[in-house]
Amino acid sequence: MSNSDTLHGTLIDEMTLTCEELAHACCVEPQWVIEHIETGVLGRSARYIESYRFTSYDLKRARRMYQLERDFDAVPELAAIVVDLMEEVEQLRKKQD
Amino acid sequence: MEFKDYYQILGVAKTATADDIKKAYRKLARKYHPDVSKEADAEKHMRDINEARDVLSDPEKRAAYDQVGQGYRPGQEFHPPPNWDRDNWDAGYEYSGRGFSGADTADFSDFFANLFGQGRRTSGFRERGSDRHAKIQIDLADTYQGATKTITLQTHHVDERGRTSLNEHSLKVHIPKGVKEGQHIRLSGKGNPGVGGGGTGDLYLEIHFKPDPRYRVDGTDVYASLPVTPWEAALGGVIEAPTPSGTVKLTIPPNSQAGRKLRLKGRGIPADEPGDLYMELAVVLPSADTRKAQQLYETMAKELNFNPRK
Repeated sequence: MSNSDTLHGTLIDEMTLTCEELAHACCVEPQWVIEHIETGVLGRSARYIESYRFTSYDLKRARRMYQLERDFDAVPELAAIVVDLMEEVEQLRKKQD
Repeated sequence: MEFKDYYQILGVAKTATADDIKKAYRKLARKYHPDVSKEADAEKHMRDINEARDVLSDPEKRAAYDQVGQGYRPGQEFHPPPNWDRDNWDAGYEYSGRGFSGADTADFSDFFANLFGQGRRTSGFRERGSDRHAKIQIDLADTYQGATKTITLQTHHVDERGRTSLNEHSLKVHIPKGVKEGQHIRLSGKGNPGVGGGGTGDLYLEIHFKPDPRYRVDGTDVYASLPVTPWEAALGGVIEAPTPSGTVKLTIPPNSQAGRKLRLKGRGIPADEPGDLYMELAVVLPSADTRKAQQLYETMAKELNFNPRK
């Protein structure tokens, strides 16, 4: 591989994801994303769903929530609680290191 | 290609009901979930049980699997029957919708991809390829300067007859300066191939810093422990301190105690508003393992009249 083969990607957060892009990245329908915004467990940056933009944090959170819902038939609120706890454990572990 | 016994993977009998399969899957998913599991090969186990669940929980796929799997033992060399082609799916095994339960098909085995892969359902169906996700570990120094990393991915290749094989390929990826822990780099068109002329998906790389006992990162701020001698802490002075971006000259204020944090503004992770680097002083005592060293400590004990517990 030569230097010209080096791939230059887009850094998420400098460029945020639309609702459709987030849905595709999580293998869900956009409606799943919208429902999770409406229940308050996902997204926190805009007032109107059309103008929602999603960050790396949202992407990781959405994928985790979807996997928990799929694997354990968890309702969105329960999946959100589990993900909240996972995030808190990660933060505490980082501080402990 | 090895035959995979999905019933054995989930630990259920061939007569298991849908409920038995769901229970067995959940039990194993909890054990091997990549976010919590400490088991060795957790990701591989998770891939196997996802694959087994995907097939056995779908009546059409389960029936097809039972049919082709008759007489095979786990690990035995497997050859799909000659009539296992698109005609077979047209005869009733084709499944509808997205079909893969949202899982990343590139994470599935060669065996699964050959039986149920995307090459099996091209007729009249057009869909963009799914996005792929991978993690990449970089050194903290890489985010200070930017870097180029090579990653190796496994990809399913579908030949003109619809047979799937698992290929490894490498990608050289530019890591931009200032990238943060948990941030994603999106590589457009490097995900899974589309079906029926649909576009290729994207590849998302999640950035993680390699564990480094010298540093702790919080957002764009970096924390480091800086070992100093008792006289450097007491008298102050200029010392050379290692940082992720190279060695810097650092002034230690006189009368510094262990635990004192010195902030190096803007020397954290680069950004429009760069983070700060915090150097926490760790006073390291020389060993009293020679007569000379013992005498120095004895002199201090006599002369300094110092009791840290008061």
